[in-house]
Amino acid sequence: MTAALHLDAVGALMRRALNELLRVPGAAIPGVLAPSLFMLGLTGAFGELTELRGFETDSFLSFILPVSLVQGATFAGAATGVNLARDIEIGWFDRLLAAPTPRPALLAGIVLSASLRSLLPITGVLVLGLALGANWPGLGGLVVAVGLAFAFAAVAASWTVGLALRFKTQAAAPLMQASMFVAVLFTTSYAPQEVLTGWLATVARYNPVTRIVEGVRQGFVGEVTWAETWPALAVLVVLLVLMAAFALRGLRHAGD
Amino acid sequence: MTQASVGQSLRVVGALARRSIDQTFRRPQFLAPILLFPTLLLAINVGGAGRAVDLPAFPDVGGFLDFQLAASTLQATMLAAVSGGVALALDFELGFNDRLLAAPIPRVAIIAGRLAGTATMGAVAAVWFLVLGLVFGAEIVGGPAGALMVIALSALSAAAFGGLGAALAVRSGQASVVQGTFPLAFVILFLSSAFFPQELMQEPASTAAAYNPLSFIVEGLREPVLYGISGETILEGLGGIAVVGVVGVVATALAMRARLRAA
Amino acid sequence: MAAVETNALERSYGDLRAVAGIDLAVAEGEIYAFLGPNGAGKTTTVRMLTTLLRPTAGAARVAGHDVVRDAGAVRRQIGVALQEAALDPLMTGAELVRLQATLHGIPRADGRWKAAALLERVGLSDASGRRIGTYSGGMRRRLDLAAALVHEPRVLFLDEPTTGLDPASRQAIWDEVRNLNAGGTTVFLTTQYLEEADQLADRVGIIDEGLMRVEGTPGALKAQVGSPHLELSLADGGAERAAPVLARFGEVQPPRDGVVQVGLARGAAQIATVVLALDDAGLTVESLELVQPTLDDVFLAETGRHLEGADEGEADGDPEAEPAGADARP
Repeated sequence: MTAALHLDAVGALMRRALNELLRVPGAAIPGVLAPSLFMLGLTGAFGELTELRGFETDSFLSFILPVSLVQGATFAGAATGVNLARDIEIGWFDRLLAAPTPRPALLAGIVLSASLRSLLPITGVLVLGLALGANWPGLGGLVVAVGLAFAFAAVAASWTVGLALRFKTQAAAPLMQASMFVAVLFTTSYAPQEVLTGWLATVARYNPVTRIVEGVRQGFVGEVTWAETWPALAVLVVLLVLMAAFALRGLRHAGD
Repeated sequence: MTQASVGQSLRVVGALARRSIDQTFRRPQFLAPILLFPTLLLAINVGGAGRAVDLPAFPDVGGFLDFQLAASTLQATMLAAVSGGVALALDFELGFNDRLLAAPIPRVAIIAGRLAGTATMGAVAAVWFLVLGLVFGAEIVGGPAGALMVIALSALSAAAFGGLGAALAVRSGQASVVQGTFPLAFVILFLSSAFFPQELMQEPASTAAAYNPLSFIVEGLREPVLYGISGETILEGLGGIAVVGVVGVVATALAMRARLRAA
Repeated sequence: MAAVETNALERSYGDLRAVAGIDLAVAEGEIYAFLGPNGAGKTTTVRMLTTLLRPTAGAARVAGHDVVRDAGAVRRQIGVALQEAALDPLMTGAELVRLQATLHGIPRADGRWKAAALLERVGLSDASGRRIGTYSGGMRRRLDLAAALVHEPRVLFLDEPTTGLDPASRQAIWDEVRNLNAGGTTVFLTTQYLEEADQLADRVGIIDEGLMRVEGTPGALKAQVGSPHLELSLADGGAERAAPVLARFGEVQPPRDGVVQVGLARGAAQIATVVLALDDAGLTVESLELVQPTLDDVFLAETGRHLEGADEGEADGDPEAEPAGADARP
């Protein structure tokens, strides 16, 4: 098989993975609704936190919107893993495994569909948040935010695909969702580092996803700088490599 | 109804409640939303927003954890109700309820059994969060009586919310429809004083919280932990539970009647 | 070179040996049927041969390639239609076959016309634009077959291809298998239907509890367990008087309930002679039935049990009801 034919396979798998959104009425709604509700709910509940010293903005909505962008990306990633677990259970995945398509191409098709899928919640959250008065991040801030979230969806999808291949059952869905929940929210999601207390302050300091959240957030609460951007990119690349390796390992051992 | 038939009905309800509880504990997809996610959210809320107690207008409380326990308990009971509804809908989808409807048991036992199971999960959730709170430094000012009050209110509210979940399950007969209400549970909770004092919330959430029955329920759960047992707050909490419960019972009865008529 | 060969092939899940060491060889161009009850290890064996499951011991080669070391090469040579007819209800039939073509590296334009031709061949042209979720069971099986053929495989694996189908759909699948084989495709199929193995297969391997019990052509296997016998009921209580006449042709069983039984070494070829002999003796045959040994008799001789569903036209139970750990994933 030539490289062009591999790309064909990747494209075909992406298209098939997006069928659920395109052909099942309302299937896209939960993925957009959840991060949007979270954003609005937290703003309504915790908006006054910006009165505390340490917050770099007085708009909690602007502070939390980036978190919802990343959440939207991880929901798309988690959904990809859950769908794969379902495909394994019903035997559909056997069809792909028995085909001569190289494993990396199989993985690429599935994971890239998650990134594409994540554009729906990313767009939904952005439109809603900006309409309700969140700070405009500027074109640069927007590109950085959307790009990082888009790529993080691939990281999330690789992780949950690896879990799906490990457990081979939809009963692993809570593990996929919980791990993504923890990864994104055990960061500076609610408050800047200096405002966090106790164990969460320590965890957020060392959680690599914090760099991604900060990278996405920078335009919404201030200026986009290379100093905030390159750590996010570096973490993204490392996580992508690690999670892709995890997923590929799962694929290679699918018959064990 | 004779004494024997009342006894038999209670046995049926008990057996169905046990089945409902077994189902929850045997499926991670059911158990995780009830305990795992509210626990994670509690951890994040306390770690992330814990400095809120420093805000000048924040009520005088032992700690932000003490304040948040009621929210986590209420969240768990609502999600237990949705899980129960999903399980009931699955029973309709897979035909298990036909087996029950063909048996000589009162129709109401089918729903009562499910609600008894959900109520038990509500009590379990309350115990879980009270213990968790104590382990991490919270204080239950109301003492053992206060803890029992929280557990009882949690069980009752779980049953009340369970009625809403059951109504949707009976009406639709589809697990995916009931599953779709998970986000709704979060929305309604955010529009209450579960996570933050109502007077410190931002509009329009603050106004919504002032009239949301959930605010009364969560205050009823919170009072015994923060300040001890207060008759007025508990009554208001029971009132909120009653409002939800009545809506649930009526909706379920109507849905059941429509389903049996169509069968 | 054998199209499929195994050497002490084994798959264990902890202490459970789902496949306990199987040796077989399928020649190029052969139709080979793997016959056995639910939980015998048929599906587990097929999954190992199609690279979906790794053997825990032993070896297997398909189309000349080792299923573990050269899995990619094996996948290029095989077509697979599995028990669960792994189909996506949201796709159309045409999309599925085209996707399969893409996965096998067939250029897009070629994939389109190949898909169209195959769907025409299996009688699904009109339905090809509809979602698979609307297809009947028979249509799904035919679609699965079309998808398995898009890359013109050397070896086709069919795992219980007609389970749950009505007789007409089953016959359609059989006809297609024969056509494929006539074109040179080696077919390895698993089945729990005696008739399917009998009708289709050049050779049959009978598997039970993870072990190959016996192997051979259907005729040879049946001949091993006995010869046909003729059951006759005669008018006017002539069964007693018929015995000495019938003894000239073969072993006669004592009459029971007015029916007398005689073994016929040459089967149907001797019926006319028998009837004429009885007629010459003044005996009138009211009814007769030639009873042939079946593959179930073969199974019974090997295992002491009947094959499930042997008495019925369809297999009992759901193939997915195979005991966990036998053919299911752990």
